[in-house]
Amino acid sequence: PEDTFRAQLRDDPDVASAVAAIRALLGFLKQDRGETIQGLRSSLLAAIDTLSRVDSSVAVSSGGELFLRFISLTSLEYSDYSKCKEIMIERGEIFLRKVSLSRNKIAKLCHPFIRDGARILTHAYSRVVLRVLEAAVESKKRFSVYVTESQPDQAGQKMAKALRKLNIPVTVILDAAVGYIMEKVDLVLVGAEGVVESGGIINKIGTNQIAVCAKAQNKPFYVVAESFKFVRLFPLNQQDVPDKFKYKADTLKTSQNLTEEHPWIDYTSPSLITLLFTDLGVLTPSAVSDELIKLYL
Amino acid sequence: MPGAADRGSELSEQIEAFVARLRGGGERPRSEDTARQTLSLLRKIIAHGRWSRAGELMDLIRTEGQRMTAAQPSETTVGNMVRRVLKVIREEYGRLHGRSEESDQQESLHKLLTSGGLSEDFSTPYPPLRANVIEAINELLIELEGTTDNIAMQALEHIHSNEVIMTIGYSRTVEAFLKEAARKRKFQVIVAECAPFCQGHEMAVRLSKENIETTVMSDAAIFAVMSRVNKVIIGTKTILANGALIAVSGTHTLALAAKHHSTPLIVCAPMFKLSPQFPNEEDSFHKFVSPQEVLPFTEGEILAKINVHCPVFDYVPPELITLFISNIGGNAPSYIYRLMSELYHPDDYEL
Repeated sequence: PEDTFRAQLRDDPDVASAVAAIRALLGFLKQDRGETIQGLRSSLLAAIDTLSRVDSSVAVSSGGELFLRFISLTSLEYSDYSKCKEIMIERGEIFLRKVSLSRNKIAKLCHPFIRDGARILTHAYSRVVLRVLEAAVESKKRFSVYVTESQPDQAGQKMAKALRKLNIPVTVILDAAVGYIMEKVDLVLVGAEGVVESGGIINKIGTNQIAVCAKAQNKPFYVVAESFKFVRLFPLNQQDVPDKFKYKADTLKTSQNLTEEHPWIDYTSPSLITLLFTDLGVLTPSAVSDELIKLYL
Repeated sequence: MPGAADRGSELSEQIEAFVARLRGGGERPRSEDTARQTLSLLRKIIAHGRWSRAGELMDLIRTEGQRMTAAQPSETTVGNMVRRVLKVIREEYGRLHGRSEESDQQESLHKLLTSGGLSEDFSTPYPPLRANVIEAINELLIELEGTTDNIAMQALEHIHSNEVIMTIGYSRTVEAFLKEAARKRKFQVIVAECAPFCQGHEMAVRLSKENIETTVMSDAAIFAVMSRVNKVIIGTKTILANGALIAVSGTHTLALAAKHHSTPLIVCAPMFKLSPQFPNEEDSFHKFVSPQEVLPFTEGEILAKINVHCPVFDYVPPELITLFISNIGGNAPSYIYRLMSELYHPDDYEL
């Protein structure tokens, strides 16, 4: 399964890593030769473990957990294993088809919030934000974008390149310049790698800073995320976010002392977020936990 | 059939008259009256309109609804009632179609994972649908009648003796609320006059008729007096989907002053004022009327050199609000999304 996963990520750079993970797991499910639900569950857990050793991001974890939940829900309805497996595969395909449309749904919901002449601040590289801005351009709005450079991997430069291709005026700014630029900005729009139960988000390091600055200057802070990124975590502070999300998989394997490594993600609390745009609709942060409860309980 | 044709043209005449009244402006209509008129009109359309399937009916309602909301976008109760009726139609259709009462028509993660097919197709005709829908609308009308009383009944829990309450402008809901509390408790009310229309004066007159100690003051004095106030109780025109308010001009000032002094801000509004729109640029809730009230036309010399605006409404963000009291009870602003999902279907948010 890790080979299929890696192959998927390589072939289609536009796909979210959670979707690639779910696709790989679905392929694994099709090949599985077990006869019981329990056997299936344990082999899937092992598969998810291997996947997270390749890419230990929040997205893979949420995708994996969603898939497990999907298996449990389906197995509750049908007791006959082979029939159950058929239904699972069929529903899995439908699910994948639905989530491929989710980015477009989000773009349709979000682009009315971008006014003509708006100045938007965004952080690092997010495919969902890119799609939203594309939709805004298609509806003939004129706006300009500031992107943070987003060290250490300079993801912001990648975002700026993609935006320039859409003919949007872009300025790349230093991560440290967020406080300076905030007074010029009209709204902040970021993606998310994971949305936690409290309604907060886990995203590339630097997002929390931007959220705090935006709150201090009364600028709206919007988050765009697909619903499969909802994860069953409730961090109360930065320390509560598990180490396996903060650092890359290879770092976790090789490093001696994790406190000397730089984390890749941070947690932004829900009090700093104005609205979340998901394919389930426009949600206030308090509505997120409701959605998660509906699924998991 | 000549009968049907007559009824048809009489119906479209009534719709035209309603739309013209909405567009005409004139005096400020009472939201409850607008809601009731919209519902009666929709009931007539359902009773006399030519449709056989639920899908056709929904399209018909939607077109009429779009026409009515386009006439006066700031009257959001019209749109809200149309959406309520659409939800009623969906429910009745679902019940007749034999779907289980799980009533989870909303999108959710759960539904994403477990549902087999795509969305519902409202094409099966059911003869009892017409009667059922009209029955449900009658229930809605009865609910409408009782909203002010339901809200007023909760007054005693929120107002205590010897309190100083502040309000702004003239809201019939708040008037009923305060009158009900005055029957058992003794308290004072300070009314901000709410220039330039000064509806606060009328509110003060009505309250003092019930022997409530009332004081009227200018809007500029709101902040100065706020330190002596225990609670702020206001009405509103619309409640938006994120818990924000569209209320009379001057309410935002009042809300900010209350926040500064940590005074609770209570909003009394019935549920038919809840609108599933979010505040964004497309919204045309801003309504401007003649600036005659702000600067009279007699000041001709100055008028040539300046711009004068007279906005009617204000936007109040959800962080400034403590509690919403509606006919279904008290709720926090962060809970509004849940109430919305009970009243309206997500596909109807965009009429």
